[in-house]
Amino acid sequence: MKRLLRMSYLAAGVGGLGFFAMSVLLLAVWPGRVLEQQIHATSPDHPLPLTASEQRGRAIYGRDGCAYCHTQQIRYLDRDIRRFGAATLAWETIFDYPQLWGTRRIGPDLSREGAVRSPDWELAHLYSPRSLVRDSVMPPFPWLFDGAPDRPTQDARDVLAYIQSLGRNRELAGKEGEAHARAACQCSDDEKRLAFDAPLLNASAAMTRRQGDYPKLALSHDPERGMRLYSRDCAGCHGKDGQGNGPGAAGLSPRPTNLAEHEYTQDRLSFALWNGVAGTSMPAWRDFPLDDLAAIALAVRGLHSAQRESSPGADDLGAGVYADHCAQCHGEKGAGDGPAGNEFAISPTSFRAQRLNLEATIRTLRDGVQGTPMAPYAGRLSEAEIDAVARYAREFFQP
Amino acid sequence: MTASRHAPAQPHVESRLVYAHGLAALITLLISVAFGILASIKMITPDLAGNSAWLTWGRLRYDHTQGILLGWLANAFFAFLYHAVPLLTGRPVTSVRLGHWIFGLWNFAVVAPGWVLVLAGFSQPLEWAEFPLVIDAFVVLALLLACIQFLPPFFSRGLEDLYVSSWYIIGALIFTLFAYPMGNFVPELVPGARGAAFSGLWIHDSIGLFVTPLAVAILYFIIPAATRKPIFSHFLSMLAFWMLFFLYPLNGTHHYIFSVIPMSAQIGAIAASTLLGVDVILNVANLLLSLRGSGFFPRDIGLRFVSTSTVLYLIVSIQGSVQAQMSVNQSVHFSDWVIGHSHLAMLGFASFAAAGGLIHAWQRIPWARYDAMLLNWSYWLLLAGLTVMVLDLTAAGLVEAHVWQSTAPWLESVRAAKPFWLVRSLMFVPILAGFLALLCGLIVGPRGGGLKAVQDSIGLEPVREIEPRLVNSSS
Repeated sequence: MKRLLRMSYLAAGVGGLGFFAMSVLLLAVWPGRVLEQQIHATSPDHPLPLTASEQRGRAIYGRDGCAYCHTQQIRYLDRDIRRFGAATLAWETIFDYPQLWGTRRIGPDLSREGAVRSPDWELAHLYSPRSLVRDSVMPPFPWLFDGAPDRPTQDARDVLAYIQSLGRNRELAGKEGEAHARAACQCSDDEKRLAFDAPLLNASAAMTRRQGDYPKLALSHDPERGMRLYSRDCAGCHGKDGQGNGPGAAGLSPRPTNLAEHEYTQDRLSFALWNGVAGTSMPAWRDFPLDDLAAIALAVRGLHSAQRESSPGADDLGAGVYADHCAQCHGEKGAGDGPAGNEFAISPTSFRAQRLNLEATIRTLRDGVQGTPMAPYAGRLSEAEIDAVARYAREFFQP
Repeated sequence: MTASRHAPAQPHVESRLVYAHGLAALITLLISVAFGILASIKMITPDLAGNSAWLTWGRLRYDHTQGILLGWLANAFFAFLYHAVPLLTGRPVTSVRLGHWIFGLWNFAVVAPGWVLVLAGFSQPLEWAEFPLVIDAFVVLALLLACIQFLPPFFSRGLEDLYVSSWYIIGALIFTLFAYPMGNFVPELVPGARGAAFSGLWIHDSIGLFVTPLAVAILYFIIPAATRKPIFSHFLSMLAFWMLFFLYPLNGTHHYIFSVIPMSAQIGAIAASTLLGVDVILNVANLLLSLRGSGFFPRDIGLRFVSTSTVLYLIVSIQGSVQAQMSVNQSVHFSDWVIGHSHLAMLGFASFAAAGGLIHAWQRIPWARYDAMLLNWSYWLLLAGLTVMVLDLTAAGLVEAHVWQSTAPWLESVRAAKPFWLVRSLMFVPILAGFLALLCGLIVGPRGGGLKAVQDSIGLEPVREIEPRLVNSSS
């Protein structure tokens, strides 16, 4: 009996090591093989590896703990997919040595962050998160900069490059790649639905869109709520009085719009709040309740300081200059739909939907708008021409 | 068990090594707690020391968890091993000289430089593996030396009548020696989802194969030593032991449920997690039955820490089984619920066991200082701080899960969590005070105060009477 027991303990002792080996085989080696086959079957032929800069950025991302607040793993769950986009496929992470999936989500998932924000926004946010997002708890990373958000060191450029690479390969795989992967994936129907049939590959509500349906915001009657939301979510860039001089404005190009100099149609505000302004740092706010967006629109309209001026003095000179110099981009009728306008990353302003006050219009014509295709006309047009075309363009506005 | 019963009557406990590791444990504990406090305060005022790369949140968090695991718990476990192994085996540890090497390596080649390197920006972004690879090499070396130091006494005695604590100690040292390199090195070589499968194992193995077995070894050691009664059932203790080492490694993938890792691996891990809860119920039932008659809050302070640890072990394990279930996991995963769970495990179960083991060993060092009142304060402060913190984080997790499930903007979940984070940070007062009291209770007071406290209460037991309880009488 005793001999038997002694044997059994010895057997168990050896078996104990077997348990550990079994766990590694069952839960790491075998799944690894399955994943490898899946990667082989579903990956595009030539996914882009990370560039040297992106790799350096990834190392900084890992070193400073980014992955401990931001996951890079969209789970096979509707609630994840609704917020962030299609579930993460195995091949999307093949360049991650080591993996950065994360197990805690204090900030949003960043699997597809690359396409969401403007580079300026990302840098300004890295430099000083709360200058742009008042209630954020993200740590600032000023040591990646030379003292200002628009003076990134190579480290900050590398982090930016890495962030912008997130989700790139899946985006590049395109419809064809998705169809190929869907057909080759040995996964259940449910997994296919979550990985391939999500309404959006990138569901981030902040991602800007140049076009797209948007709800017509109702006229809000809640100015107090509007100002509260404006100062919480908008003032970081646009400033508390709307002059485009908020604490987060310094690093952004083009600079945040001076809302105090602008009149907007409700339609224009509805579009800009819902879709953002593509090519600029103005994100979309599609995750906000419509009531809130309407209240913000009310607040923005309330910032316009000058009283409604009609523009006396629109004349033939202005019409001529406009047709020669402006219409190609801004459209014959000022709707921002000129034939050349589509070539630019930033859509030309529609003068029908928004109007600068006269003084600012003249200044804009003289100096152009930095960070946009709007060139300075100071040397090319005479003062009289600038004045005339400013008055002419302002007449398009249709409140 | 013929020859073994006649092992030397007074196995030599290397008190100086118990003391050295105990002191290192307490000092690294306070430093690790300071890292944690600073990290938690930064979630309320993120711009505090915002210009310092060395003190950025991520690096502090790395140092917090690595310090708790490798500084506090590992040192406390080593201190316990130096006390317990000679009693369990009737033989001294392999070598005092080796002990100096292990102490030096562990504290001056692992913990201290690990902390500094992480703060300086050298680390790896893998949970429970944040110290850089160069440090990992020293960890593996030190673990190997620890095996040489502590295991031969067991093997020279023979396996057949080993008491359950011995099994846990052998298991923990050997398995960690294997699991540590797997968790720290493999994900550097195997990318993405495939690497995550290995990481998932290590996230669980670090707790399940290192912390838990050694903490449970302490529970099984202190309870019969302090109650003066044999444990309720040696059979149950061994059953639970083998179940634990069978099931624990199979839990790992439950950290990545609903991921792209094959569903059958996920379901296997969930099943193992559920069964693990059953195993812990068995184990804790055995421990609690062994504690019968000691009351909820035993007078012996070491035993009190240990008996509370036993109850917390049950709670945290059942919570773990529950949160591994898909229906629960889909909501609470990624949230502060999990942070509450990990504090219940590490600050609750493991730290209470480690503190209980340390106090027990300390009481038996004839020249060590000891202040019973401070230790009493330490217990109550820690219990209060822990309870509020865990309840608070659990509630925070539920609130976050609720917001995430809605269509509200992401930032709403951050705003909703802020009051909870404030409460969590405030709990630094009782917790830090509790740990300070623990340190002071063991370095102020009269020399030999612990020994006197034991003599005054239940009287010191001769080793030859302790020993028979520390063998597996069922064999």
